[in-house]
Amino acid sequence: MTVFKFALKRSFSNIANLVFLTLFPVACIFLPRGEEWPFLPYGYQYFGIIILFIGIRLAAIILEDREKGVVKRLAVAPISHFNYLSQNLLAYSVILILQCAIVVYGGVLFGQELYQPGWLFLLYVSFSFASLAIALAWISIYRKKDVAFLIYMSLIFIVVVLGGLIIPVEMFPDLLKRMAVILPTYWLGQGLNWVVFGEEILDFLIINGVLWLYTIVFVVIGSTRKI
Amino acid sequence: MRVLSTIKFTALRMIRNYIVLILLLVVPIILITFFSFILSGVVTENGVPYINENAMIMVLVFQLFGGSIVMYLIYHDLFTENKMRMYALPFNQTMYAFSIMLCGALYSILLGILLMVYSQFVLGVIWKNWFWMIYIISLMAILSIIVCLIFTFSVKNYKIAERLSELYGVGFVVLAGLFFPLPRNAIFDFLGSYGNPLTLSMGAIRDMSLTNTSSAWFQANILLGVIAILFMVMLLLGRRRIG
Amino acid sequence: MTIASIQGVVKRYGAHLVLDYIDLDIYEGEIIGLLGPNGAGKTTLIQTLTGITSFERGKIEIFGQSKNPFSNQNKERIGLVTQGITVFEELTAKENLQFFAGVYGLRGEEKKKRVEEALEFVGLGDKGNKTPNKFSGGMKRRLNIACALTHRPKLLIMDEPTVGIDPQSRNYILEAVKKLRENGTTILYTTHYMEEVQAIASRVVIMDQGQIIKQGTVDELIQMVQHEEKVKIDVTDSDKVPVNELENIAGVKKVVVSGNQITIISAFDSGNLDRIITLVKEHAGVLGIQADKPNLEDVFLTLTGKELRDKEEA
Repeated sequence: MTVFKFALKRSFSNIANLVFLTLFPVACIFLPRGEEWPFLPYGYQYFGIIILFIGIRLAAIILEDREKGVVKRLAVAPISHFNYLSQNLLAYSVILILQCAIVVYGGVLFGQELYQPGWLFLLYVSFSFASLAIALAWISIYRKKDVAFLIYMSLIFIVVVLGGLIIPVEMFPDLLKRMAVILPTYWLGQGLNWVVFGEEILDFLIINGVLWLYTIVFVVIGSTRKI
Repeated sequence: MRVLSTIKFTALRMIRNYIVLILLLVVPIILITFFSFILSGVVTENGVPYINENAMIMVLVFQLFGGSIVMYLIYHDLFTENKMRMYALPFNQTMYAFSIMLCGALYSILLGILLMVYSQFVLGVIWKNWFWMIYIISLMAILSIIVCLIFTFSVKNYKIAERLSELYGVGFVVLAGLFFPLPRNAIFDFLGSYGNPLTLSMGAIRDMSLTNTSSAWFQANILLGVIAILFMVMLLLGRRRIG
Repeated sequence: MTIASIQGVVKRYGAHLVLDYIDLDIYEGEIIGLLGPNGAGKTTLIQTLTGITSFERGKIEIFGQSKNPFSNQNKERIGLVTQGITVFEELTAKENLQFFAGVYGLRGEEKKKRVEEALEFVGLGDKGNKTPNKFSGGMKRRLNIACALTHRPKLLIMDEPTVGIDPQSRNYILEAVKKLRENGTTILYTTHYMEEVQAIASRVVIMDQGQIIKQGTVDELIQMVQHEEKVKIDVTDSDKVPVNELENIAGVKKVVVSGNQITIISAFDSGNLDRIITLVKEHAGVLGIQADKPNLEDVFLTLTGKELRDKEEA
């Protein structure tokens, strides 16, 4: 598990990552509630945005390995590409799951009204995996870490707005409502609404199912590029 | 002046940086368009259509990030290995840095104007006072460039300077209360009004559209004053780094 | 005529003495090969000569000017080829040259002509409209050189211009350097590659630990330092080698037998090779001969030591 251990170390090795991985998630716990919308406190509505940023920052470590030629060196070492990738992804998943736990249960301790914190935690975990998978697929089409990150940042702005995390989907015109369905942020938004209002567990399972579908599809796409 | 001959190439380098174009033109166009669909027909408490207000906010918000390209070019040309070649050239390196700043400001202002043109002619947003709007955009662009350069000159690690410049942009957007309401106390109130370039510029434009010219000029002059002070700071720090 | 003169220059970075009373004159029309291990001070010397770095003591005179040697007027006559590739990635090769030509005061048709000339000179005539990120390493290095040539400098300073490129590109660059000298350009050329210095330099300057320790032509340096010649002979049966008889040949200092190879060390220019080979052939059967004449590498290693010294140059 050498790659796993070093992936964890490297994830916290620079200041920007440290801030993203520690301060920002913790700050989410303390943000206030909205009056009519969102139904959860602002921090929990926007935590999805932070998960998207964290996903690309972590996955970009793999891109850095590719950029610097470390992946070529590993290609002739006795470790398969699958092993290398899975250990990295495992490390990033551990970090993200830990953060989801801190944000959700920190909020419970702080006294935020989270309705169904257990299901909320599960939803965030599913979204975290989807975010990581999308980031992995994204970096597979780039050679340079900085370029990949900057363009992904633009994409995050758009996906977050069009997915209904900044403005409720109900306000969208019909066409945009239909288009929003293809975005993972839409499903996160629906999941957050379910945590507040939902009754049927099947609805929640469908939401998580879609997020896991994103995960599987994008992991497959992202794993195809080796060197 | 030899430096003048470099301006064309600085402009080319800026225009060819497609990442900056995506971040400062394409993304705001998509967001302005999206919001215009959602907010059509809705008006503010002053009777102004929300799409006007929203377009104004978007144009100004993205000016907060306009300093990034100037920061990148000055760092790349005068602080990395390239500096050896640049310092061996028969021209004034400080003037070269100023020429990059000038180009960057014009570029950022141009992008702002393009957004205004797009929103007016494609989405029907009404800009009451084009000259005033362009003036405020210019102030925001110049301020953003100066702040980014202060970070570049004062911090040794360029990556940290980049993150600080992003924090400047995102930070003032958050402090303006655009994402979520902030606690009501003296500090946040100040940072959400007179201590925030975004709210100052938004206020200046709103007041001018309501013909409240004295208040509009007051807010614009605060921005101008901050620019003048920070310009001195930047000169001081820059002299130490560039020489 | 002296193009540039460095007299007693001292440069420190904190407590670390990087240039230690350097004296160096650069004469018109010569190619100076500046050799030295990592951390010797070569790049710092170049930086002080071009005014990029200040110095604490001493005097630098360039084109006869000592009061203001780094004036724009002088800079117009100097070209610098940096060790790293310092071109603009966003501009095409032609635009890169136009940028530098413009800074050097070239305008209009003259600028256009010089840009084309420089591109042709480095073999990138048909690549002018491509950006450097599409170039190979060798092509980037050639563009890096071209950027210093548009203004036809009188003094061209080249800081390890062939690092990391293939032999064909390196050869091309060396030929270009020779051509520049024929056209009247004076060149200061730093490198780690001895064969480059031997191929092009009219004078060699060896630096170490901030000092110039030796300078002269290649032949002068070799003669100054080395007093021995080495012959290595591979034999069929080393037991039959007449070691005593070999040691008695005039000029032979030492005979070393190692496996089936014998090494005979003689005084420099002793002219005993024929006698040695004849004797060995008679007794032991010769399979192969290698005669080592001292070269610049031997001079360099003798003067600067064989150990690795991982000093960083500031």
